[in-house]
Amino acid sequence: MNKTVNINLAGIFFHIDEDAYLKLQRYLEAIKRSFTDSQGRAEIIADIEARIAELFSERLQNERQVIGNKEVDEVISIMGQPEDYLVDDEIFEDEPQSAPANKSRASKKLYRDTDNSYIGGVSAGLAHYFGIDVIWIRLTWILLVLGAGTGILLYILLWILVPEAKTTAEKLMMTGEPVNISNIEKKIKDGFDSVSETVSGVAKNVSDSVSGAAKKVDVKKQGNKIKSSSRTFFDTVADVIMFFFKIIAKFIGLILILIGASTLIALIVGWFSLGAIDVIPGTDLVGIVNAGGTPVWLASLLAFLAVGIPFFFLFYLGLRILITNLKSIGKIAKLSLLGLWLFSIIGLTIITIKEVSEHAYNEHYIEKMTLETKANDTLMVSFADNDIFKNPFYRSNDFKVATSEEGKKAIFSKDLRIQVKSTTDSLAFLRIEKSADGRNYEKALDRAKNIEYSYTFNNQELVLDPYFTTPVSNKYCEQEVLITLYLPVGSVVYFAKNTESFLNYRTHSNNIVSSNQVSHYLTVDSDAVICDTCETEEDEENDDIEINIDMPQVKINDKGIEIKTGDNQILKIDENGINGNSENVRVKIDSTGINITSDKETEENKD
Amino acid sequence: MKIENTKAQMRKGVLEFCILSVLKDDDAYVAEILDTLKDAKLLVVEGTIYPLLTRLKNAGLLNYRWEESTSGPPRKYYGLTETGKLFLNELNTTWSELQNAVNIVTNQKANKNE
Repeated sequence: MNKTVNINLAGIFFHIDEDAYLKLQRYLEAIKRSFTDSQGRAEIIADIEARIAELFSERLQNERQVIGNKEVDEVISIMGQPEDYLVDDEIFEDEPQSAPANKSRASKKLYRDTDNSYIGGVSAGLAHYFGIDVIWIRLTWILLVLGAGTGILLYILLWILVPEAKTTAEKLMMTGEPVNISNIEKKIKDGFDSVSETVSGVAKNVSDSVSGAAKKVDVKKQGNKIKSSSRTFFDTVADVIMFFFKIIAKFIGLILILIGASTLIALIVGWFSLGAIDVIPGTDLVGIVNAGGTPVWLASLLAFLAVGIPFFFLFYLGLRILITNLKSIGKIAKLSLLGLWLFSIIGLTIITIKEVSEHAYNEHYIEKMTLETKANDTLMVSFADNDIFKNPFYRSNDFKVATSEEGKKAIFSKDLRIQVKSTTDSLAFLRIEKSADGRNYEKALDRAKNIEYSYTFNNQELVLDPYFTTPVSNKYCEQEVLITLYLPVGSVVYFAKNTESFLNYRTHSNNIVSSNQVSHYLTVDSDAVICDTCETEEDEENDDIEINIDMPQVKINDKGIEIKTGDNQILKIDENGINGNSENVRVKIDSTGINITSDKETEENKD
Repeated sequence: MKIENTKAQMRKGVLEFCILSVLKDDDAYVAEILDTLKDAKLLVVEGTIYPLLTRLKNAGLLNYRWEESTSGPPRKYYGLTETGKLFLNELNTTWSELQNAVNIVTNQKANKNE
């Protein structure tokens, strides 16, 4: 006696035995799996079903006859095994057998193996996937959990994200076996065996409820396989935990979406506004900095892709977590995005190299100008007023694009420095050193030459521009101007307050005027300036110790010790030796020996 | 190198040509096509034909119409399209050339052996 099922095959009604029905169902399922959607799967299946219906109709003498295993077997032998349905586009390959082998390896998928699970079947699934024994995976988990606790989080994530292998086909895919009718049949048979074992186990358990406790544990694992069995405590707890973790996962997904979306929007807005900047004249700063000559739109597009694509994937991942049955964007889309990303990274690298190579050489261009300033003359140095910059007298390596007086657009920069040196020449002179970067020597020198810097010298008044300009076409490429003022010994120089920020306060390379000496009349000495009106603050910048005692005056600093007792009475100990000057006698001890001179008589004593 | 594979390759290679040839004069439904092919021992199992038919139809070489059947589900009657006819003519020429070539090669061998 057999139970029968009613089926509708291509619009025709059939009675079919239950086991024959199961066989037919598995057969059709297996065939379905051997096609992809692109091959027109639905249509092929419909045709096949129609044909099977036809074959069944031929075999039935009357409407009351039932289709059994025999008929199904016949039909299957006529129609062929699922493998026979494969239309191999590469049928002329030498070894066609290798193709299905590859296919089965590629179709190995990660599922949770709940049949062999301790907690969620993640380990068993991973073991199938990597083809190693599950014990190694479990040991790794234990190590990870003991190590930093990250294992727990990872396990939970996998538990949520990895689907459970529910159907036979999924179980086959999990172990990497090809999905064909024989394998499915085998698997089902195994399944039936274990189900029958479980059923008998449950029956025993019910009849023998006193000793049930021990057996319950054995039965539990099998009990999972048949849905009718009661849920164990662990499953319930797991469900509750899973529920909360799912909420947390959704929350994480939401955060990922927010991060991804906001970054993408910001990038797109940024990109468009960058494009707008390019349109408005006078604000194309990007073009000025970009000495490499790469189009702005290209560089910004590459940057947009390089940053945007990872965030898009983040967004997508969040969406996938939030919406479980979201359709995949497809392998091709993913791969092309990845390719685009790699391309943009490479592109950016090339642009960066180009940009950097633009700064490979730094060249100087020097101009010298003689100023009619002799010893005892007083030179006034100041900056011309201008309204190009907000803080015109504050030095910085900032730059801006503005229209010069001649009406030409130019780059304005305040990257200039002033230093003062003493000279033995009778006339003062001005040395203007312009420097810039370039891809090669000529380019850099050319850029340096193209720096325009102006000043006026009139009636012992030197009025400098607090900025220099260079044509926009020259681009911003580390242009700098160093002004060196060579002054004859004995001349007096006065720096206006507004030059303060541009003076080199460090006393390197023989610079003799530091920024805190502005607004004072400074007498130029051979390697220093003498400040008559300065307070003692001139050395404040150095970590000097200065002790000022009312009278006599005592100075101790890095130059040495100086004791002044009157206008002409000085005792100096410094790198030049010991000098003692009184009104009538001068004592000098240095590398040449001891020298004592007096106004009245001269005495020399040498060691 | 298995003999079965080589045989299968040979058969599969000409199967499309044969399907088109069957439909050259008259439209036919799947069972009729199958009968012809099976009589000629070109097909062992029927399964192979369905994906092929769908492929030919998707390529625009075949079209079909539905016809009611007295015994069983409605039938799909396949027929050649204009492109299908051109395609078939092309294949016919290729086939006769190929046949000729194979004949020459195999007969040469036979003559030498004699």
